[in-house]
This record gives sequence, structure tokens and C-alpha cells, in this order.
Amino acid sequence: MSRLEAKKPPLFISEPLTRHAVSQSLSLLSGILKSSYGPAGRLKQLHNGVGGCVCTTSQSSALLGHLSVSQPVLRVLTASVQNHVSHFSDCGLFTAILCCGFIENFRSLNIAPFTVIKISKHLLSLCMDHLKSEACGCRVSVDFSSVETLVCLVRSILTSKPACLLNKTEVDHLTSLVLKAFLFTVPCHVETNAVLGKCVIIPVKGRRVEDSTVLPGLLIEVPEIQLGKPLAVKRTGSNMIKLALFSVSMSGDGFNPEEGTIAVHHGVSLEVSELNQLLSVGKQLVKDEVGLVVCQKVMHPSLKQYLKENGVMAVDRAGLCLMEPLGRMTGSQPIASIHLLSPGCYGSLKDLCVESFAPKHFLHLIPEDTVICSLILCNRSETAWDELKHVCETAEQVLRLTMKEPLALLGGGCTETHLASYIRHKSSILPASTFKDLDCSQTQYQLVTEGFCHSLESVARSLSHDGEEILTDMVYGHCWFVPSGAPCVSKWSDFLVSKCGCGMNGNTEDLSWRFLRGQSGSPVIQGCPKEPSVKVSDLLTLDCFAAKCTGLQVALETANLILDLSYITEDQN
Amino acid sequence: MPMAFRDVNARRHIGLQQLSSLASTGRTFLGPMKSHKFIVDEITNQSTLICSAVRLIESLDLTSAGGQLLNETIQAQNKEFKTGLSTLLFLVGAWSNAVVECLQQNVPVPAIVSVMSEGLNSCCERVQCLQIPIQDVKKELCSCQVRPKASESNTGQVGCDGLTNPWNLLCFQRDASATEEVIPVNSCSHQGDDCNFNKFLVSPLAGFGSVASVVKAVGDRSSSALSGSGGTASSCITRKLTHSRHFSTPGKSHFSRHLSGPSADLGGCCGLGHLAMALSRGNQTGVKLLQSIAAYQQERAECSGSSQINIAEIVTCCVLGLPEGYSCVSPGFVTLVSPEQVAVIKHFAGKPLRIVLMDGDLTEQYRHLGFNRPRNVRTILEHPSPQGSSTGDVWLSRMSDILMSFEVNLVLVKGNVCKNFMERCIASRILVIGGVARDVLCAFGTATGAQAVSYLSQLNASCVGNGAWAELWEPSDGRAVDLGELVPARISAGGLALLTAVLTTALPGKVQLIEDQFWTLLYRLHHALKDGKVFPGGGAVELLCLSHIQALAEQPGWPGNDRAVRWLPSPWLAEYKSIVLQALARGWEQYLSVVLCNTAKAGSELEASASVDNHLQKAAACGSASAYILEEFRRGGVFRGSSDPFLNQVTDLKVCDNVAAKTEAWRRALDLVLLVLQTDAEIITGPRRNEILNSPVSSEFMFL
Repeated sequence: MSRLEAKKPPLFISEPLTRHAVSQSLSLLSGILKSSYGPAGRLKQLHNGVGGCVCTTSQSSALLGHLSVSQPVLRVLTASVQNHVSHFSDCGLFTAILCCGFIENFRSLNIAPFTVIKISKHLLSLCMDHLKSEACGCRVSVDFSSVETLVCLVRSILTSKPACLLNKTEVDHLTSLVLKAFLFTVPCHVETNAVLGKCVIIPVKGRRVEDSTVLPGLLIEVPEIQLGKPLAVKRTGSNMIKLALFSVSMSGDGFNPEEGTIAVHHGVSLEVSELNQLLSVGKQLVKDEVGLVVCQKVMHPSLKQYLKENGVMAVDRAGLCLMEPLGRMTGSQPIASIHLLSPGCYGSLKDLCVESFAPKHFLHLIPEDTVICSLILCNRSETAWDELKHVCETAEQVLRLTMKEPLALLGGGCTETHLASYIRHKSSILPASTFKDLDCSQTQYQLVTEGFCHSLESVARSLSHDGEEILTDMVYGHCWFVPSGAPCVSKWSDFLVSKCGCGMNGNTEDLSWRFLRGQSGSPVIQGCPKEPSVKVSDLLTLDCFAAKCTGLQVALETANLILDLSYITEDQN
Repeated sequence: MPMAFRDVNARRHIGLQQLSSLASTGRTFLGPMKSHKFIVDEITNQSTLICSAVRLIESLDLTSAGGQLLNETIQAQNKEFKTGLSTLLFLVGAWSNAVVECLQQNVPVPAIVSVMSEGLNSCCERVQCLQIPIQDVKKELCSCQVRPKASESNTGQVGCDGLTNPWNLLCFQRDASATEEVIPVNSCSHQGDDCNFNKFLVSPLAGFGSVASVVKAVGDRSSSALSGSGGTASSCITRKLTHSRHFSTPGKSHFSRHLSGPSADLGGCCGLGHLAMALSRGNQTGVKLLQSIAAYQQERAECSGSSQINIAEIVTCCVLGLPEGYSCVSPGFVTLVSPEQVAVIKHFAGKPLRIVLMDGDLTEQYRHLGFNRPRNVRTILEHPSPQGSSTGDVWLSRMSDILMSFEVNLVLVKGNVCKNFMERCIASRILVIGGVARDVLCAFGTATGAQAVSYLSQLNASCVGNGAWAELWEPSDGRAVDLGELVPARISAGGLALLTAVLTTALPGKVQLIEDQFWTLLYRLHHALKDGKVFPGGGAVELLCLSHIQALAEQPGWPGNDRAVRWLPSPWLAEYKSIVLQALARGWEQYLSVVLCNTAKAGSELEASASVDNHLQKAAACGSASAYILEEFRRGGVFRGSSDPFLNQVTDLKVCDNVAAKTEAWRRALDLVLLVLQTDAEIITGPRRNEILNSPVSSEFMFL
């Protein structure tokens, strides 16, 4: 008997942003994210509180993935940042912190959201135009013919997550590995539409980071291989190894129906008939001179035995993530049915060998010419390995994005402060017609501009976690740090470190520094912030251009969307 | 919407406090004189004796995040090295405390992280100059081996005879190590037997209780009870037993190995003896076993030319009910079998056996991993069979028919064996042994040509191996023993590379302990050979680290540019640098003091740290710290206690440590501390909102 219950009416919440609970949650979330930002960011331990595994991280994807947020307003924010990270892999915290900053700054302005949105969109377009122009002082072009800028880019990403627990030598080692892996994925012979290859990360946990290495081709873990025996592989006439790749399970349980019931007579064994089917596939493979059979899932031991007795190597449990690169590397079509074997689906390999990274053993599949490589990634602890894996994936993704658009932005807070200086300068010289076009007063425009710049600067301020003060200079608009407790004197150059946040400018001339703190009106730069003529250091801190530009746009658009919310309808059923 | 958030750094760092308190439990495991601990299960009332950080961590409540991370760290080190665990645990505690002190002096976190991590890195590079290539270890230890100068010294009061007779000492030591907490009973029972030295030593002591405490203090791996034991007598004995590990020729042992293979001569220069000795921490039994293993493997490897110890070819078998002296290495696979199986083995009477290897379970229900059992298949039985034999019986007969048709005598199974099938096999004189490790199967496969199968139905003639044999394992002196239910049997084959270390003990609570100790020593030797070099032990490496840190503190420009501390101008960094380097140094200082105290080379931590300081000054005065330390090591160890004439003369305390295991333990310990240091919040995931809300610490949490 079913019981019917009257539907509850939906709950309407008006003006959600004005609610105390929402603003409290927002500031808590923004606090968590800000405290995780940058190379000195603090880590968060994610665990279930009852002895489950502990993930120590400062990555936006891990943090946002594990935080279950109850406020719908915040869920809009986290979903939008997660979406950004899934595409660009970098600048997640930047986007989230900036978005929180926009919401907090604009909300307190007492200007109609409609107007705020209009003005802020205009400011964003100023930013984007500036970032895309040649004259932009906070971007550098990436020269792919030399390794220098690429090293800076990768190193900045590797050092941005302290939970990887890398020391300097390890950072150097991994930087070169990540670059090497990336270069493997670039095709040697470029045709009309070149496609980048893939780098597969192979986990070897519990070992030293220096043991990590890159190999061309793919590695499949083979726990049961006996070392010391030479691999006897059947080769074809052209001295290649023919390979068959199965994506279907060959464990012999294929008769297992999804639904319904099979009735069989006593004495009939489905298992046996299924096994016979598999063995006939095996016969066909032997006849077709296949040398290596790789199965994504499990192979029946009898089939493995049959293949082995006939000189065919069989490897099972290759796993889903190897399938696409395997097919691509060997030119084989993954076989999805054991009833159909077409000769065209076989691929080929140049060679096979066994590689050992204690305690694991791998079969190394070596192709003729490849854009597929394997990064054997080691780190001492589980949690540090997870963090490192994510960072390496990000670095690879950033290199790919940079290849499309060979530009990078200055890191260490310099892009943010530079943009803020630029916007302040630009908005002070706007023609009056602009305000008319935007349908707002000059005061409104200035207030929103201040909020916008302040949000940008608050991202730079989030890099400080130990009470150090943040300054910006009035010449280049870069970001500078002073330890807390430095006396307030006019001659900052004595107390500043030798370089700005990104490492481009030296503390050699008087750059008229000012504090970046509080809402107090900031003096406007006289001219447009300049581009430094000489860079001081070879070790620049650089960020991904595409990811940061998009992050800026996503942050503003999401903030505007949230500011524009006037009702939340909650279905209570 | 369960998500809780706790600020870790509220006042003092909770995470570091957790680490420090967990780590403090392992303090007495540090150094060669480890104190055992009893782990008592409150439910079953069973107790186990433990002596390693892994076993300790396994028995602690580790639900906190810090505990989880500590456990993960210890397990990772254990998996790779099986040694360096108590060092790791101790340094986690010492560095946690030191880092908390840095925080209290307002040193910024990035400065702590950067200076400590680069400092450790620099120390690891610095101590490389102390490494001794293993071929030199043999040379160094051979040149100054046993120097029985005891007669020259005036230590007659304790009995030079006893000392110069290595057998007595060995015997004494065996007793000491065999007894632990139950010592009085055991040591007395041996007195009338063959150990008069023991009696001699004990007799001047007044009471029964002090006997126990003396022996405890003495045993190489035994306890901390020094404080309880009275003055001179106990300290004399302590000294004496320290030497016993240097009597490297216990050739007179009347538990002569009955092995038909190469002799296990400790003094012989068949190579690894001295190295094993130097790494043994006084585990004499272990050294003997290792000697045998090395000799066997070397004999085999003579053609292949590798000098490494192959761990995959070694298994252990623990035999309860025999004294520890009966431990030995047997070629082949020794395992415990039931009385019914014994009958089958006796029936074999040494004839060559046909062998089958199975890499799964031997049951009707077993299917290979990844096989999903069909849930909706219905079998229709049209003609019920009149015999009424169940399907299980059909399977049993089919399987035993297969074995019979291939004339199989011996089946080694990786997993479980169906009980009924086992009985049927015994009835048809087929020996089936379950729970056999994969490495054992591999070794038998190589030796007999057998190929492992998952199902008996897979068997064909080429899968069956030939030439295995089985016999009952007997103690060396042929002593008849009643070992109760299970009896050790030895299964072997021509050319089988496998060796079994048969570990005997009379105490059930010690089984795990002696097995752990054996593996630890084996791994130490394995890694020493793998590294190709060892560190001088006895605190030499730690002392060099301390002296190197002093040098680093004075070196301007170090640690150079680091992104996280780029904002720190040099005057600030210089100030923080010295505070943080001191914190790093404190880890090793405390390590040395505790080792000196645990080994009774220093009466108090104050005395110990004075001794460390003294050496540091001498090293600084010498100009080259590493040269000074190496020289001291050659003269018999840095902390050999120079005030002690007795020690000075006889001891060549050539203790060595593993290189990679030690530096990795340091690194792992520091990584853990720095990871926790940089953590400022815990985020609890999962559906526990109400639990947290109702808990007493609910005020510490915030909800999103």
C-alpha cells in the first residue's frame, strides 16, 4: 500500500546575498581558499574523521570536490570554478578567491546590481584588451625554441603546491622530466593538423622523487612476470610485434546477463561453453601471428595458458586509462567483442622489454615512432604523491595551452597589482561619454572601479600568510613583500627583498612603494604602468596566460550572476 | 550537508602535538639496546611481545589525521627497508617539538620549511663522505677482529675465564635474549645445564629480583631496567655483554648445524659475515642464519657472479616448542603440516614426486579474480540421478581423477584448500599444502618445470613438474620434540633456489618478534649490498650532521633563493636561519642522548649531551669533522665511553648502519613534520554532522 503525502510548497528566499548565513559561509569559504593560495599557502587535511585516509592538499579541485556546500549561492560559485579547473587545470584558487572578492566588494557598494554589472563588464573588457595588447607590461612571450621560459613556467607550477614536499633538487629534476615528457608528446613530423600526444603518469608510491623518470612508449604493470628470463615474443616477417587489444572482458563470464534469467539444463555448463569461445578466439590470434595480446580487463587463466603455450604473450588488467593511448600508439582498434575478430584491428610494436621500479614490474611497449610517453612518478608518501600527480598533470596541460598561445603572465601577485594599477590609471582618463554609455555616474564608476581593483589586489594579498606586508610600486605596478614588523620608513628599499613577487624587477631604484591594505583610496599612477626594460632574474615566476585570463572572466561573470540573484526557490520535497 | 572545518592552529599546533605524543611512545626502541613492550589485548587477554615501531604503531589508536599520516609514513619505510623505523618515529617526535618551539619564537612557517628541508638536504650530502664501501667494511673489520685483551686488563673480578671463552658468553647471551620478562625461570633452568658462566655472574648478586633486572639490562635486545639494578655488578655485566657481539667465532657451539651445505662459519671470510655482524645489533642468531643464507646463495651464484642477497628466495617458518638455538637455515621449503599429512610424507619415503602448482584456491567455488559469478542462471534438472550424489561429490571425484591421471603426488596451493578435498587427497596419498607464497611457487616452478595453473582442469602434461621430494624437518641434534599439532616438513627439489629460515622459539608471544628481527636483519644486509656502502654506526653520522649544521649556520648566503621565502630580506632570514637550524640539530642531539642513555653509555641525558658537545668541540678543533669522526670510528666507535678502560681495550664496536634506510628515515620524518606544520585546518568529509555537533569539541568546528 502506498501512502500519499501532500507536496510541500517550495521555499522562496529573497535577496539571498543579504542573509547573514550566506555571507558568513561566503567569508568562511573565501578564508579557506585564501589561506591555501600560493607557494607558502597552508594545507588542509581532508579526511572522514573515523580513520579513513588523509588527503593533505592546497588544490582547488581537491578542496572544492570534498567540500559539500549547503548554500545554493556558494554552490554556483564552486560549480563554476570546478568547471574552469576541469578545462584549464590551473588557476582554480585564483578564480575562486577573485570571485569571492568581487562579491564581497560589490555587495557593500549600495549600487544597484544592474549598474555594477555593467560597469564591471566594462572594466573587464579594459583588462582583457590590455592583456591582449602588445604593450601589456605583465605578460611575457614564451619562446619555444629555448627552454628557459618553459622551465620558469613549469617550476612555478611545481613549487606552487607545498604538499608535494619537494626540495630544490627535486624541483629541478621534475621540471626537466615534465618538460621532457611534454616534448615527447609533440609530433616530430608536423602535418597539416598536428595533434599533441599524451603523457601517461605511472604511480610508484613510497620511493624517492629522484627515482622518477620518463620513457617513450607505454608501461603496463605485470605483477606476475618472472624477472631474469628473456622475453620470447613472436615477430612478424617485418620484424614487428603484432598486437591485439581487447577492451572486452575475457574472464569467461560473458554470459552474465544484465537482466532476466537464463535456464540451462543440468550438465550444461555455460562457463565451459564461454571458455571454448575464448579458446577459439585464442586459436584465431595464434593463426594471425599475433605476438602480444593486451586486455583491458581480466583474461581467463586457461586462455592465458593456451596463448603462452603457443608463444603469444598475454597481459591483462591494462586498465581503462591506457586503452586510448595504447590504441593510438600501436594503431590497433580496441576489440569490443570476442565474437568478431577482423584482421584490420591489429596494431604493431617495435619492441618489448621488462622495466622494474621496485617493487613494481612493468612491460615496456616500445613503438616505432611515438607521441605517447610514460612518466614514472615517485614520491615518498601517498598524500604527497597524489598532490604531485595533480601538479604534474597541471604542468602538462599548461604547456599545451601555452603552445597554442605562446604567452605567460607574471606570477607572484605582480599581474594582479599591475592590472589594478592599469585600471586605476585608465579609468581616471576615461572620456565623460563613457559614463553616459554605461548609464552611470562618475562616482558610481569610480566606486566600482575601486572595488574591482581592490578585489584584484586582494588576490595578491592572499599570497601573504605570515603577516608580511604587501606593497606595490608606482612605476611598474608590481607586487613587493616586506616582513611584518618592518619599521614604517620612507626608504623602503632597505627593507624590501631584492626582487618583486615575480622576480622581474630589482630593488635598485626608488620605485615609490605604497601599501596594499584596506579600502583607503589609493593614489593613481601618473602614467600607464611601464614594462621593465631589463629583467633581473632568470627564475621568473610565471602563470599560464590562457588559464588566468579565462579565470578572470569566469570570476567576474560568476560574481555578476550571484549578485544578480534575487530569489532562490528551494524544492522541499 | 556535512562539512566541518577545524582550525588546527588555534593556539599551539594541534597536529604537531599529536605527532609528538604518538612518537614519544617509541622512545625506548631507539638504539641497539631496545626495551621490549608487552601489548595486551584487553578483550582476549592475550599478550604479544613487541620491539619495533611498526608493531607499536599497529597497536595504537590512530584515528586522528596526524596518526593516520604517521602510520602511513612508518608503513612506507617498513615496506621498503624494514629498518630505520624507530629512528623515524623518534625524529618525528623530536622535530615536532623543535618546530613548535620555532613557532613560539614567531619564526614564519615558510622559513622553517625552507631552512629545515634544505638543511637536511645539505646534511645528507655532507655525510656521504662517511660512507664506507662494503668491501672496505670487510677489510676494516677483519684487521681488528677479536682482540682478547681482557687478560691484560684488571677486570678479573668478573671472571676473565668466562669472557675469553666465547661459548660461555654466547650462551649467556642467548639466555638473556631468550628470556626477557620471564627471565628468572628460564635462566635458572639453564644454569645446571651448560651455562655455568651465567651462574657465576649471577651468584654475587643478592636477590632473585635483581637477577631479573640484571639480565634485562644485559640482553642485547632487552629492556630498560637499568635503573632498577644495583651498582657495580650490573654495569660490569652491561659492559661485558656489549663485547659479546665481537666474539665472532662461536665455532664451538654444540648446536652444530646439521646442514649438509656450506658451513655457517662466522669468522670465515666468505664475505658477508663481518658486514652482517656489523649490521646485526647483537642479534647473534640472526647473524648465523644470514651467514648460512649468504653461503648457500653464494654457492649458487658462483656461476652468475652476483653478490646480492636475493630476498625473494627466502621464506621463514616459525616452529614453536624448541629453544631459539635450534633456529637454522634449511634449503628448500619448510612448512608446518598436520599429522595426517605427516603420514603421507612418511609414505613417500624420499621418492621423487610429481608436483602441481596452483595460484588460486583449490575449492569448488573458486573462480579467478575478475570473474563475476552469474546471479540469474537457473539449472533445470530433468532426470534426477538415482545415486543422489551431490554436485560437490562430483567435483571432488573429478578433481582427484585429474590428479591421479597425471600421477601427481604433491600440490602446492597459493590460497585455501577445500577440507573435503584435502581429506580425499590424503586418502589417495597426495600431499596438498595450502597458503604457499607466490615466490615459493615461482621457485618450485623454475626448479621442477611445473607451471602454475588456476584450475585443475587446466592441467596438462607440461604443467606438471618432476623431481620434488618431501621429508620431515628435524632439529639439528635429532632431538625428538613434541611440537603438538603441527609438524615442520621440508619440501625441496633438485636445483631449488629457495631457502627457509626455520625460527624456533619456546615462547608463543615471541614468534612475531623473532620473525620481525630476522627480516629486519636480512633487509639490512640486502640494502647494504644494494647500496654498496654503509655508514659507520654508533652515532658517527648524526655527530657529523650536528657539526655540519654549525657550519651551515655560519655560512652566509645559505640556503639561497627559495620562492616561498623570497620576501624575507637577509637580516631577517639570518636570524630565523639560526633558530631553525638549531631546531633541526635538536633532533639529532636528542637522538644521540637517548641512544647513549638507552645503551647505558651515559647516566643521564645531561651527561650524554655533554659527551656530544665534547666530541663536537674536538671535531671543530680537528679542522675536518669527518676526518675526526672516521678516526674515532676506526678506534672503536665515537661514543665508546673513553673513561672506561675495559671497553676501550676489548671493544671494536664496529657497528654499521644502512645508508639509504637512514637518510630516507630522516627525510620521511621531516617531511611528515613539515606537512603537518603547514596544515592549518582539518576538513571532515562524510555524513557525521550531527556527531560532530554533539561532540564536546563541536565549538572548534565550523560548517559551510
